[in-house]
Amino acid sequence: MLALTYSPQTPLHALSAPIKLMALSGITTALFIIPTGWASMVLGGAALALYAAMGSAFLRAGLRTLNGLWPFVVVLGLWHGWQGDWDGGILILARLITAVAFANLVTMTTPLQDMIACLVRLLHPFRRLGLNPNAVSLAIAMMIRFIPVFMARAEQLKMAHRARSHRSGRWAIIFPLALGMLDDADTVAEALRARGGITPKD
Amino acid sequence: MKNPHISINQVSLSLGDRSILCDIDAQLNDRRIGIVGRNGSGKSTLARCLCGLIKPTSGMVQIDDIDIYKDRKRAIQKIGILFQNPDHQIIYPTVGEEIDFGLRQIGHTAPQARDKTRQMLAHFDTLDWIDRQTASLSQGQKQLLCLMSILAMEPDVIVLDEPFSGLDIPTRRILGDVFQSLPQTLIHITHDPAVIETYDRILWLDAGQIHRVGTPEQVLPEFMDAMMTASGLT
Amino acid sequence: MEKATVHIALFAALIAALGLIPKLMLTSGVPITAQSMGIMMAGTILGAKRGAAAVALFVALTLAGLPLLSGGRGGLGVLAGPSVGFVVGFPIAAWATGWIMERLHALPVSIAAGVAAMIGGIVILYIPGVAGMALMLDKSWSQAAMLITPFLPGDLIKAVITAILTQAIFAARPASVFSRSGSSL
Repeated sequence: MLALTYSPQTPLHALSAPIKLMALSGITTALFIIPTGWASMVLGGAALALYAAMGSAFLRAGLRTLNGLWPFVVVLGLWHGWQGDWDGGILILARLITAVAFANLVTMTTPLQDMIACLVRLLHPFRRLGLNPNAVSLAIAMMIRFIPVFMARAEQLKMAHRARSHRSGRWAIIFPLALGMLDDADTVAEALRARGGITPKD
Repeated sequence: MKNPHISINQVSLSLGDRSILCDIDAQLNDRRIGIVGRNGSGKSTLARCLCGLIKPTSGMVQIDDIDIYKDRKRAIQKIGILFQNPDHQIIYPTVGEEIDFGLRQIGHTAPQARDKTRQMLAHFDTLDWIDRQTASLSQGQKQLLCLMSILAMEPDVIVLDEPFSGLDIPTRRILGDVFQSLPQTLIHITHDPAVIETYDRILWLDAGQIHRVGTPEQVLPEFMDAMMTASGLT
Repeated sequence: MEKATVHIALFAALIAALGLIPKLMLTSGVPITAQSMGIMMAGTILGAKRGAAAVALFVALTLAGLPLLSGGRGGLGVLAGPSVGFVVGFPIAAWATGWIMERLHALPVSIAAGVAAMIGGIVILYIPGVAGMALMLDKSWSQAAMLITPFLPGDLIKAVITAILTQAIFAARPASVFSRSGSSL
């Protein structure tokens, strides 16, 4: 299961994650606070330029990530078209696409580990409320480790269902999948305790 | 009773650019068929192709002229499969429901299915299991449940995909006796030649291709030699 | 502590795996996903705090760049799109579902889970969901609410399935349904 980071590396990969995240916050805020459509057009153009600057393959990959917005393009098109407010529709769309484009740019140029490191750092203030950063790191690692295990198990259950039914088994497999997860959790917790457990936070 | 005719026609399967099965071609009429090979030789993938669970990249599997991948309704009454790990196979919380399921899928009504479930459980002397939680069964008991679930659908062929994994010796023995007593055609996938010594036909799969086909006497000694001298972990 | 952490992590992984199950299209053309039931089940099974933590972990790692949402979506782009309110609302919905589940301990598991899923997974979730949509699409709350009404029948079905699943899991593993068993995690 691969992360959404783009490879090979581009110059933007070299920028540190916190800087990119802060820039992203600034840009997104600007997009939604500056009321004129110019912000969207200018920033949208900037996003396009940045993608293009990283190479045409990168640009194409970036455009693909915008596919999920199609339903909303249609909805907005119908809505504003029916009201005769094309300008309004285009501006909202431009703002939306620009925001998503910049956000995806950060995702494509930042390795998963860096993002996780940022996340853990953001949780720092919660230490005072009892959150144990060791538990958080461990939880992240375990989640990543088990996602492919459960995905493979889901595939196997799908096949087991297909072996006895010509119908779709997509709902039937949720139960055994969940049960397997609960059983695994008990076993893994035991194994963890046997290896010393989670280090207390202090 | 004539044995079902299993026709594996030039079956190849690739995942991406990895070739897993290459041109598997065999016409099988025997009642007891064994498939041996190292881990990674493609045995499990072939098992799944035989049952119509995955689509070959090219070629097809037919049993008595039924296209097993396409004609699912008839396929599930032709061939069933017992997986390695019963936890990957059992879908329902209680034993009764698990066996009922297959019966409903082949068209029985709920009362009919329940009747046949009772018959199946009674045949194996486990009628008291009917309302038991599947989760409370031991591994060996779960395998037996999986077998009963398949037998209830009255297939002509049953694929056993390394069904003894993780079972203790007495359980293997008992389950093995059950398998031998079955009237169906069995296709037993294993990397342990001892369990298929008395079979009628052995296919030896190596790196996705049929390396040898023949009787146990013809194939197994050479297979054992190869296993004893093979180096490298799979 | 180990038990809680492991359950949170593994439930988050389960929600990710549920994203693999293809959407079911209702006749109205609206899809329902197994993953959204996983969100509700986090509440009905693990309870409010652990359920919310599991879903929050799932959302966090999705935003960090893993394609875990149904359909293989992920990354920060999710936060910038119209469904941002829903994604942000998932942990809140799980918390609400769990909280209600815990309060309804006198009712049979299936009923409690159904009520909890309907209120937590629908009513509570739609507040941030609709708000997010209104913001991103520059519409009023009522206009945005109109856009999501086609999804309601599907969500009701999801709540019912969640109730059935929770009941089945409770029958098989009563000690693992922490919203009920009261056993300490």
